[in-house]
Amino acid sequence: MTPADLSPAIAEQVAAAGVGLVASLPDGWIAGLIARFDEDVRLRHVAVNREESAIGLCSGAYMGGTSALAVMGASGFLTCIYAITKINYTYQIPLPILITLRGDVGDRAKYHVSNGLYLRPIIAAMALPFVEVHTAADLPKIGAAIGHARTIARPVVIGLARQVLKGAD
Amino acid sequence: MAMDMRACFAALVAARRDEIVILSAGNASEMWWGLTQDRDSVFYLEASMSLAPMFGAGIAMGVPGRDVWVLNGDGALVMNPGTLMVECELALPNLKHFVVSNRAYGSTFDATLPNAAGNDYNALAAAVGVTRGQRFDTVPQLNAGLPEVRAPGHGLWVLEVEALGHKIPAPPIDGPEMKFRFGRWLERETGVRVFG
Repeated sequence: MTPADLSPAIAEQVAAAGVGLVASLPDGWIAGLIARFDEDVRLRHVAVNREESAIGLCSGAYMGGTSALAVMGASGFLTCIYAITKINYTYQIPLPILITLRGDVGDRAKYHVSNGLYLRPIIAAMALPFVEVHTAADLPKIGAAIGHARTIARPVVIGLARQVLKGAD
Repeated sequence: MAMDMRACFAALVAARRDEIVILSAGNASEMWWGLTQDRDSVFYLEASMSLAPMFGAGIAMGVPGRDVWVLNGDGALVMNPGTLMVECELALPNLKHFVVSNRAYGSTFDATLPNAAGNDYNALAAAVGVTRGQRFDTVPQLNAGLPEVRAPGHGLWVLEVEALGHKIPAPPIDGPEMKFRFGRWLERETGVRVFG
């Protein structure tokens, strides 16, 4: 199935949820979405040097009164376990994290096989609330998940399937 | 030459006006706590592992009317020097990055830091465009340089200090307590709404 590019609608969900800062580091599936964030005048987009920096920046933004969203690929997310557990768990700082569901059925990149095998078990092991977005009908889950992170004062992970992104393997 | 770390921090504590202070893990948090017993107007980002400058940048964005002093260990900077590139691009005029350079991993019994003697942190910063900054080897130099630190503009200032050689107590503050005490203080002081 050819993926539809729902990036504009995803950006709408994020902006409507009150997010003022997006910190990102791309993978191939979300480069287009990140470009959309970069163009959106309602948001400040910051390209970071590594995914953990997005965790730090967004967590600080929260303490400065700005609602923030970290955006990254699945592989990058897996490098953030320490930052999430030490900063967001220790201090109970809310943080929505938008990731790609790399390694799922349909991903033709062999180097993302490990994500398909281990991403969900690791998210479960960290007791992170996890929302999956597979179709346009799922898009309202994004705003709800952002609000839920604030409610529980913890990170919430939002996984985007290839079907909602115009991703390139 | 290097400063006694306690004397260096005492000078910063004495010079502080209304700056927001973010302290990285280990010696920086511990020394500030030991000197001030402050539970409200600073954030002890324990176990920050290089992320204190990014954390401070996030606050600096939301509170543009206040300077944010980030006291980051040199061990932390070595872990993640790429944050300098992000800081440079952000160009936040109120973000002031201090590197507490003891040339060791101070919080882990002064364990060896890679290339410790050869690291030139100001040159590293300048190479990615962070051209404001200075290395302070003595307390008088630090005091003399503070007006430049306070001038608008991001920069990186290196506090060259002696390794402590011993452990000092960590702030006895749980994470949620730290969040709420600091957040409420910031709300009162600046008017930002952290908790809604």
